[in-house]
Amino acid sequence: MTSTHENVFPVITLKYRKGDLIIKEGDYGISIYKIIRGKVSILQESGDKEIALATLGPGEIFGEIAFLNKAGEIRSVSVRAIENAVLEVWHPSMLSKEYKEMPPMLKYVTDQISARLLRMNKLIVQLTTQEQKRRKAMERHDPWPSQRRYYRKEVDLECYYRPVGLSPKVRLTGRIRDMSLSGLGMEIVAKNTTSFSHMDGDTFVVNTVLPNGKSVELAAKIMTLTKSETPGKLLLGMSVTELSAGAKKLLGFFLMP
Amino acid sequence: MDINQLVQIYLSNEETYESGEIIIEEGTKGNWVHIILEGQAKVTTQTDAGIVTIDKLKKGAIFGEMALLGKVQAGRSAYVIAADGAIRVGVLDFRQLLRDYESLSPPLRSLITALIMRLEESNEKAATLVVAANQKSSAKV
Repeated sequence: MTSTHENVFPVITLKYRKGDLIIKEGDYGISIYKIIRGKVSILQESGDKEIALATLGPGEIFGEIAFLNKAGEIRSVSVRAIENAVLEVWHPSMLSKEYKEMPPMLKYVTDQISARLLRMNKLIVQLTTQEQKRRKAMERHDPWPSQRRYYRKEVDLECYYRPVGLSPKVRLTGRIRDMSLSGLGMEIVAKNTTSFSHMDGDTFVVNTVLPNGKSVELAAKIMTLTKSETPGKLLLGMSVTELSAGAKKLLGFFLMP
Repeated sequence: MDINQLVQIYLSNEETYESGEIIIEEGTKGNWVHIILEGQAKVTTQTDAGIVTIDKLKKGAIFGEMALLGKVQAGRSAYVIAADGAIRVGVLDFRQLLRDYESLSPPLRSLITALIMRLEESNEKAATLVVAANQKSSAKV
């Protein structure tokens, strides 16, 4: 019964490209998939996000929950190819009869495992969402930047800057006159504005070398543009939009009163 | 068939545990399959940050089946099932359960194995997340 059983299964081989959705949560379907090549990610949708529950590779099977779970036939998770993948797909219709006639205790055990799995997946989604929310809230409510915002150090640092998205070969020069972790004031020659737009909201990548010899790169957006006391020069009031953790640390030390 | 009748057929013993007592370590090789007859149990796992609870099992829940029916994978953490309050559990005749399992066709068996492996993976992932969440809340204090 064993080997013949396997041979009569109509098996289809399907190829998926990296990123393809193989199973969609909420859809109906009981096909079983076996990974021949590649990797897939088991996901659960939460709002507009996908939360990864597991990563499966060659030899592993997925799609069995919808078949084994008595609530049945509705996909409880989504599955997406995270590498180009080759999958063997078979329809378990030939198992339906066997499943129904399965020793009741074994069926009960299987139902229990399904229930525990679904509960664990729910917990993973809940904890992951909680963690993401916590991170977002931290970004919004981090008390330190707001307290530091008013602290601006007067400096005189030569810097290069370029519109965001352009090659580092583009080099405009300026001098940073004051700076904090959230913003900076930069003096530039007025003619810089003839080659590139310097409007409110324009964002630039700014490079400078701190007195300790360490260079720092950040992105900042123009908030205000005023004439400098020095004729032919302009003052840009800029708000920092991107600052890597490393750069933040370097600047933090530099800015300490 | 009613679950109680079913259990009667498979039941080989009954045990009682006090709150906090360890009933089994799941994930280690063992043949004991238990069903909760009264009370509840918690599924805990040992992590670097101590013991965390990832799930609660109520009356009617089965445990110990993972080691019996799944493939015990090296390197997987073991799950300890401990009594959460006084509890009465039934010990099921694993030989009969194993006979049932072995009577299934290989494809159906492979599905059950896959399901157990998924549960192991999800347990592990959940445990990591619970530890991370606990550390954060204790860091706040």
